[in-house]
Amino acid sequence: MRLAPLRSWPLAWKVPLLVAVLMVGIAALISQVVLTRLRSDQETNLRLLTSAYLDGVSAAVLPTALRGDTWEAFDALDRARSRYSGVDVRYAIVVLPSGKVLAASDPVRFPVQSLVPADVMRQFPPDDGLRIDSETARAWLARSLREEGFSVGRIVAEIDIADLLRVRREVLLTLLLVNGGLTLAFAAIGYLALKRMLRPLGVLTSYVERIREGRAEPIPEQNRKSLATEFGQIFDRFNAMARAVSEREKLTTHLAEQKKHAMLGKLASGMAHEVNNPLGGLFNALDTLRRHGTDSDIRESTLNLLQRGLNHIRNVVRSTLVIYRPEAPSYLKATDIDDLRVLVEPEAARKSVRLDWINEVHEPLPVAAGSIRQATLNLLINACAAASQRGLVQLRAQAQGEALVIDVCDDGPGLPRPMADFILTASDETLPSWDGLGLWIIRRLVSEENGSVELASAKGLSTVIRVTWPFRRQGEPEQGADIRNFEEALHAG
Amino acid sequence: MALRTTGCRRSRVPMLPRRTALMGLAVAGLWPDLSRPALASTPVSFGLNPLFLDSDIKLLSMLQEYLARQLGRPVVLVKRRTYQEITAMLLTGQLDAAWICDDPYVQHQSQLALLAVPLYHREPLYQTYVIVNEASKAQVFDDIRGTVHAFSDPDSTSGYLVTRYLLARRNTTPAGFFRDFFFTYGHRNVVRAVASDLAESGSIDGYVWDVMSQREPELITKTRVIYRSEELGFPPIVGLQATRDVSLAEAISRAFLDMPSNPLGRDILAILQLDGFTQSGPELYQGTLDKWLVVKAQV
Repeated sequence: MRLAPLRSWPLAWKVPLLVAVLMVGIAALISQVVLTRLRSDQETNLRLLTSAYLDGVSAAVLPTALRGDTWEAFDALDRARSRYSGVDVRYAIVVLPSGKVLAASDPVRFPVQSLVPADVMRQFPPDDGLRIDSETARAWLARSLREEGFSVGRIVAEIDIADLLRVRREVLLTLLLVNGGLTLAFAAIGYLALKRMLRPLGVLTSYVERIREGRAEPIPEQNRKSLATEFGQIFDRFNAMARAVSEREKLTTHLAEQKKHAMLGKLASGMAHEVNNPLGGLFNALDTLRRHGTDSDIRESTLNLLQRGLNHIRNVVRSTLVIYRPEAPSYLKATDIDDLRVLVEPEAARKSVRLDWINEVHEPLPVAAGSIRQATLNLLINACAAASQRGLVQLRAQAQGEALVIDVCDDGPGLPRPMADFILTASDETLPSWDGLGLWIIRRLVSEENGSVELASAKGLSTVIRVTWPFRRQGEPEQGADIRNFEEALHAG
Repeated sequence: MALRTTGCRRSRVPMLPRRTALMGLAVAGLWPDLSRPALASTPVSFGLNPLFLDSDIKLLSMLQEYLARQLGRPVVLVKRRTYQEITAMLLTGQLDAAWICDDPYVQHQSQLALLAVPLYHREPLYQTYVIVNEASKAQVFDDIRGTVHAFSDPDSTSGYLVTRYLLARRNTTPAGFFRDFFFTYGHRNVVRAVASDLAESGSIDGYVWDVMSQREPELITKTRVIYRSEELGFPPIVGLQATRDVSLAEAISRAFLDMPSNPLGRDILAILQLDGFTQSGPELYQGTLDKWLVVKAQV
C-alpha cells in the first residue's frame, strides 16, 4: 500500500508526528548530554578510586619490593582485593625493575620471577596513570614504586569496568524508555487534542455539504459550545452566508410563484379570449337554429359552424391540457409544436403580430417534449412582447443530425445586452437582476437537457434565438425533475 | 593487705613523697617484703610464636585470661612477626616464658628450660609436611625440584629446618634446588601461598595442616601433602634457665600441665586440638638437634 504524500496528510496526524519528531530530537540531545556527563563522571570516579587503590597498595607493597619479599607483596595485593570493593581488580602485579614478577594476585597467570609478557605490559600506560577501553570493558592502571628517587618496581593492575558500562547501558535504556514513553504520550495527547480542536471543521464541512445539496442551514447553537475564537468567527460567517443563501432561495421560490401566477393569468386570459371569440358566433348560430332550424340547408350550415366553433374551443382546452401534462416516455411530435401556435396566437393577435410558423418536424423525436414546449412557449411569448406593432414573429423547428433545432425570431429592437449575456453564459444558480423569470426558466431547461443557446440575426429580423436540443440516448433517464414538479404544480393549480 | 593493694595500684603512678619514703624504708631494711607485692602486680609477659595463631583473637584472650587466673597476676601475651624476634626477647629477659619452635630451642638449649610440652594425639610429637598445589603433578619430595617454594620462617623446624636438612642430605641448598623461594612468616600463609599457586610447594607444620584441614577445609583441599617427616618433639613452652623467679617458672609450668582439669583450659585445648601438656627432658628434641647440626655444618 502506498502512503499518500505527507503534505496531504490530515493535520490530526501531521502535528502529533511533528511533536514526536521534535521529542525524539530533544530526547536524543538530552540522552547524549546525560551519557557524556555520566561517562565523564564515571571516568573521574574511576580515576579517584583507582588512585586510592594504588595509594593504599603501593604504601603496603613498597617495603616488600625493597626487600624483594614475595609473600608480603602477594599478601598486600590479596588483602587489597577484598578491601577496595569499588575496584574490581582482575589481576595486579608487582613488577621488579628487571621486568620480572615479584608477586601477582593471579600467580597462575603471572608466576613468581617470570617475565611479564610484552603484550600484557603494552596494555598499561607507559607512565603512571589509567587507560580505559570501553569496548573490552577493561581499564589498566600503573604506579611506579620509588624510594629516594630510585625505582624499585611498579604496580600494574587490570580493572574490570563492566559494572560501569552496565550502569551506562541501564541509564541509556531508562532514557530510551522514558523518552520513548513521553514521545508516544505527547503524540497521542497531541492527536486527541488536535482531533478535538478540529472537530468544528467536521461540523462546518457537513453544513457546507448540505449547501451543495441545496439545503442552506445555519449551524445550530448547540454545536457552537466551547468553540475557539477562530472557529466561532468562521461559524458566524458561515451562518450569515447560509442565511443569505436561504433568503435568496426563498426569494427565488417566491418569484417562481409569481411567474407561475402570471403565466396562469396569461394562459387563462388567452384561453378565455379564444373561448370567447367563437362564443358570439355560436350564440348567433343557436338563434339561427331556433328561427330557421326547419330549413335543412341553414340547419346543416349552422350546425357545421357550431361544430367548428366547439372544435376550436376544444382545441384550445386540449392544447392547454397537453402542455402541462407530464409525459413519459417523452417523444416530441409535430403537433406538440403546432399546439404552441394555438397558445401564442391570442398574444400575437393583441399586437396584430403575424406568426410565421415553419414546422419541419415530421416524425417523433427523442427529446424532452415537455421541457421544449415550456421553453419554446416562453421564447414565443417573449418574442411577441418584443415584436413591433403589426410586426413579425417566426418559428422554425427542424431536426439537424442528432438534435432538434428551434429558432424563434422577432423584428423587435433586439435582446438587451444583460439579457443576452444571461441566456448565453449564466449558470443555473445565477438569478436575473430584473423582474421576470422567463429567461431563467429557459436557461435551466436548456441546461438540464444538455442543450445550447445561440444568438443570431436574420434578414428583416433583429433577434434570432436558436436553441439546440440534443437527442437523448436510449435508456437515458429524463431530467428536470424540479421543472416537472413545477409543471405538475402548475397543472394541479 | 590493704596497704599492699594500695602500693600495687600506685606503684605505676609517680607519687614522689610516698615513693621516696617507701624506698627509704626498703633501704633501711624496715620493709623487707616490699619486693614481693610489687612483683606480684607486675604483668607476666608470655611470648607466642606465630604458630597458627595469626588471627585467632578469641583464643588469645582465652589463653591470657586462663594464665592470669592460674598465675594470679596479669598476663601480657607478646607476639612478633618472626620466630627470631620472640627468641631474642626471651633470651634477653624481656619475656618470662614463651611458646617457641623446637628449632630455636635446640639452638639455645643451654640457656632455656623446658616448662611444658603439648600432647598431640597423646604424644609430645608432630611432623613436618611438604605440600604442593592439589593440581601439581609432584608425588614425592624430589618432584618439587625447580619449583617456587614457600617456607614459613628461617627459625621454624617444620617450616624450614626439615626441608633444609633434606636438601643438605642431597648436598644442595634452597637456592640450588628451588627455582625461587620465599618466607611467609606463618604456617597458614604457606598454605595460602601454595593454594593460590604463588608457590608451587611449601614446608609446613603437620599439626597446623591437620588442624586447618578441619577449620578451613576449602583452603586445605587446594593443597596436597607429598612428604611427611619422622615425628619430632612438639614445639615447647620454655623459660630462661637462669631465671630470677623460679616460682613463676614453676607456676607457668603448672598452669599448662593443669589445663585439662580446668574448664577454660579444656576449652583452650579443644580449640588447639591438643590433649594437654606434659613435662619432658631435652632428649625429646634429639631429632631436631641432629638436623640442625647437619644444616649448620653445611653452612
